[in-house]
Amino acid sequence: MTEPNRIRNFCIIAHIDHGKSTLADRLLELTHAVADRDMREQYLDKMDLERERGITIKAQAVRLAYRADGEDYELNLIDTPGHVDFTYEVSRSLAACEGAVLLVDASQGIEAQTLANYHLARDAGLRIVPVLNKIDLPQADAEETARELAEVVGCAREDILAVSAKTGEGVTALLEEVIRRVPPPAAPRDDPLRALIFDSSFDAYRGVVAYLRVKDGVLPSRAKVRFMATGLDLEAEECGVFAPEATPVPALEAGEVGYLITGLKDVHQVKVGDTVTLAGKHRARDPLPGYREPRPMVWSGLFPAEGGDYTELRDALDRLKLNDASLVFEPETSHALGFGFRCGFLGLLHMDIVKERLEREFDLELIATSPNVEFHVIRADATVVVHNPTEMPQPGTYDRVEEPIVLATIITPSEYLGPVLDLCQSRRGELADMKYLSPERAEVHYQLPLAEIIFDFFDQLKSRTRGYASLDYEPLGYVPADLVRVDVLLHGEPVDAFSAVVPRDRAQQYGRQMVERLRELIPRQLFDVAIQASIGARIVARETVKAKRKDVLAKCYGGDITRKRKLLEEQKKGKARMRRVGRVDVPQEAFIAALRIDQKVESKK
Amino acid sequence: MSAGVYVHVPFCLTRCGYCDFNAYEALEHLRGRYVAALMLEAELAAPAWSREEFASVFFGGGTPTTLEGEDLAALLRSLRALFSISSDAEVTIEANPDTVDALKLAGLLDAGYARLSMGAQSFDSAVLGALERVHNPDSVRRAMHAARDAGFANVNLDLIYGADGETVDSWERTLLETIELAPEHVSAYALTIEPSTPLGRKVQQGLVPGPDSDLQADMFELACVSLAEAGYRHYEVSNWAKPGFECVHNLGYWERRLYLGIGAGAHSYRDERRWWNVRPPQEYLSVVEAGRLPIGGEEVLDRSAAHLEEIFLRLRILEGLPTSMVDPEVSTPFIESGLLRHDDDALVPTERGMLVLNELVLALAN
Repeated sequence: MTEPNRIRNFCIIAHIDHGKSTLADRLLELTHAVADRDMREQYLDKMDLERERGITIKAQAVRLAYRADGEDYELNLIDTPGHVDFTYEVSRSLAACEGAVLLVDASQGIEAQTLANYHLARDAGLRIVPVLNKIDLPQADAEETARELAEVVGCAREDILAVSAKTGEGVTALLEEVIRRVPPPAAPRDDPLRALIFDSSFDAYRGVVAYLRVKDGVLPSRAKVRFMATGLDLEAEECGVFAPEATPVPALEAGEVGYLITGLKDVHQVKVGDTVTLAGKHRARDPLPGYREPRPMVWSGLFPAEGGDYTELRDALDRLKLNDASLVFEPETSHALGFGFRCGFLGLLHMDIVKERLEREFDLELIATSPNVEFHVIRADATVVVHNPTEMPQPGTYDRVEEPIVLATIITPSEYLGPVLDLCQSRRGELADMKYLSPERAEVHYQLPLAEIIFDFFDQLKSRTRGYASLDYEPLGYVPADLVRVDVLLHGEPVDAFSAVVPRDRAQQYGRQMVERLRELIPRQLFDVAIQASIGARIVARETVKAKRKDVLAKCYGGDITRKRKLLEEQKKGKARMRRVGRVDVPQEAFIAALRIDQKVESKK
Repeated sequence: MSAGVYVHVPFCLTRCGYCDFNAYEALEHLRGRYVAALMLEAELAAPAWSREEFASVFFGGGTPTTLEGEDLAALLRSLRALFSISSDAEVTIEANPDTVDALKLAGLLDAGYARLSMGAQSFDSAVLGALERVHNPDSVRRAMHAARDAGFANVNLDLIYGADGETVDSWERTLLETIELAPEHVSAYALTIEPSTPLGRKVQQGLVPGPDSDLQADMFELACVSLAEAGYRHYEVSNWAKPGFECVHNLGYWERRLYLGIGAGAHSYRDERRWWNVRPPQEYLSVVEAGRLPIGGEEVLDRSAAHLEEIFLRLRILEGLPTSMVDPEVSTPFIESGLLRHDDDALVPTERGMLVLNELVLALAN
């Protein structure tokens, strides 16, 4: 047990590649948290995906011991995801800390994601420790970046520390400044227990492991505890700390960070943001503030490329869900793609990660429909929530449609400001405000439909700014929008997988694009195949795949019969792999190619 | 059920770029041994086929006429001695226009080869060039006249359409020239690119464009019209004949009659079993000369393979499929769209249907 005034709880806020994991590695080494032989790069990023992409998906908490001024300190470093998809998770991690190291690459300057997370940290009352990283790089413009950082944080130039996480230069000083500047936790240990769950993971042997910060009171091992949001009463089978491997302790006390195992097998009952208290008469009256149910922002249909893999996909989703409480899914049946699941994700990165994990860890081949947001269809009597474009009712049967909008923050070099504004404007954006961080860099706030962001906004932003702009956004709620559903028909038969809800003035363009793309992808059949795009009953685009005229083996005599039969058998197998839409055979690849929107998702810390 | 015997002669003066048959140039020195091996193999095979009645003999290749006339005559005599070949059996020999003259042709006819099949391919020298054929249009005309002079009353000309550079106009001239020469039988094949051939490799490398299937469809339709007007009956996807001159031997393949193949790489078929001889001539020679049947492989057709063959072979010809073999629900849409028609108790492809026969076969074989 450590006295609260010897505890410091902090996190690191940084943009991707600004050096967060490298700095964490140095801190682990400096505090001898990991034996030399066990040390490896990006120590805290445990998933392969995290290490490959250089991102953090799951939060980690690690306890570091450090002696300064003759005193032993317990430092809890909480490593958080930083991507906009996980803003809520980030906010809970921040709520577990008293301080944040704001780490900025001196050669790059501050980025939108860093700024957004900085604002989250400041709003959560955290003490900010601004730090310039990579000062060893020749192209580092430490002076300019420091000026920008001082301006954003509102601190003096002298308060900004300078380190090289790579060489270790300045890292000891940083650690001591964290101890000096970050306040110790307020730790009313006599109050009823309240501990904040900021993440969880699933262990095949132990069940759900909840990561928590004890705010008030004491959490002893073997105590009966209650999860306040879910109302579950369970036994605390084990409490412990990550040092950095899980190490049991008899109790976690107010101000401390650690883990709790209750034997629970369902990660959905251990919700990020929930409060753990004691069961029975010692329980707290009120939970900690800020709890919220996970809310999917982006939806997409996932279908096995091989129809027979439906059961495998279901099992895989069930398994993933064990470790990912924010993933939701429900069965979906598509005429074109067969049986699959409509899945809700926190955002595009989350979607990408889930898809990649399904394909890699479960060896599945998947077809994903274009992602869409959740629409609200307002009727006189009720509001219908639509997660799938095909569920969008026909015009005339409702009062209006509402779509989610976000407040986007874009930081861009000033020279690309024009193209950035053009892009936002063309995506139904409304300028909220704009300011210069420095003569060279501008910060722009736009109100934008989320649907525009999840289309190809990020790709466009990157290509118009040669990769220099960064983007972050926060939800602003729902507003009415003039949207219509565009359907794509093959030979008169709608292909549900290609339906989309788009702004009315862009509906025709979308229809034309899909129809033209499909004309290239659909093989010739025995009859002319009309490919049409329609809004309700109105056809807005049309192409024709002309009937195939010749498909016959020219010669077939004695010696060749076996070989020719095998050719036919191959052709038959190929046909069997196709999906039938009405009378039209469509190869799998055509669906995949038509649905590919070639957008990459920014991975950020 | 009558059977056919096929004799393979794997020698050619030159290899054509599109050809993937078991044929070789510069192996002429093996001819003597090869003729002897054919006779030996026939002897080895004969006991198993002693109860079969043969209605056709077909010498194919390669180029059978690269063999000496005397050898060809001796081969046919030996077959007649070993097998029960009916006196009116159809006996065909394939010939290259450049390897025959009046004298040789007269000898062949005299020996009993009453049907002559010549590879004309095209009357457009540009097209012959694209096919890497060594002959020119004149040699086809000359060979045809020589055949007539020698007394041949049953001649087939092979044509190929859709080679690189060939136009519908050029194809029409080839058809007219063919009709002018008045063969009893015409085989017209859409050029098929086989990956293992020199032409196939050129197409894969993008040096030569592959055939345009729409253009080949136009050419097919033109052949249907022109040849019908000239009195030829379109009795198989790629074959037309004056009435009574349909090729008995080839009909045997499509009607799934049994056949015995002799020679390097030749295939045989009987009782839902198909087997084939070793392909390389040298290997063929050494096995036969050791007194063994040169069988290189075999397959036994299971029910689904036999069913598929029944459908795809029978649909190639006018006799078609017995209506009872096909669920009317499956066939009706094709009848309505004009790809199939009823002919008494048979389902027969229309000429449009023949052009997309693979699609019909796959639909009907399900």
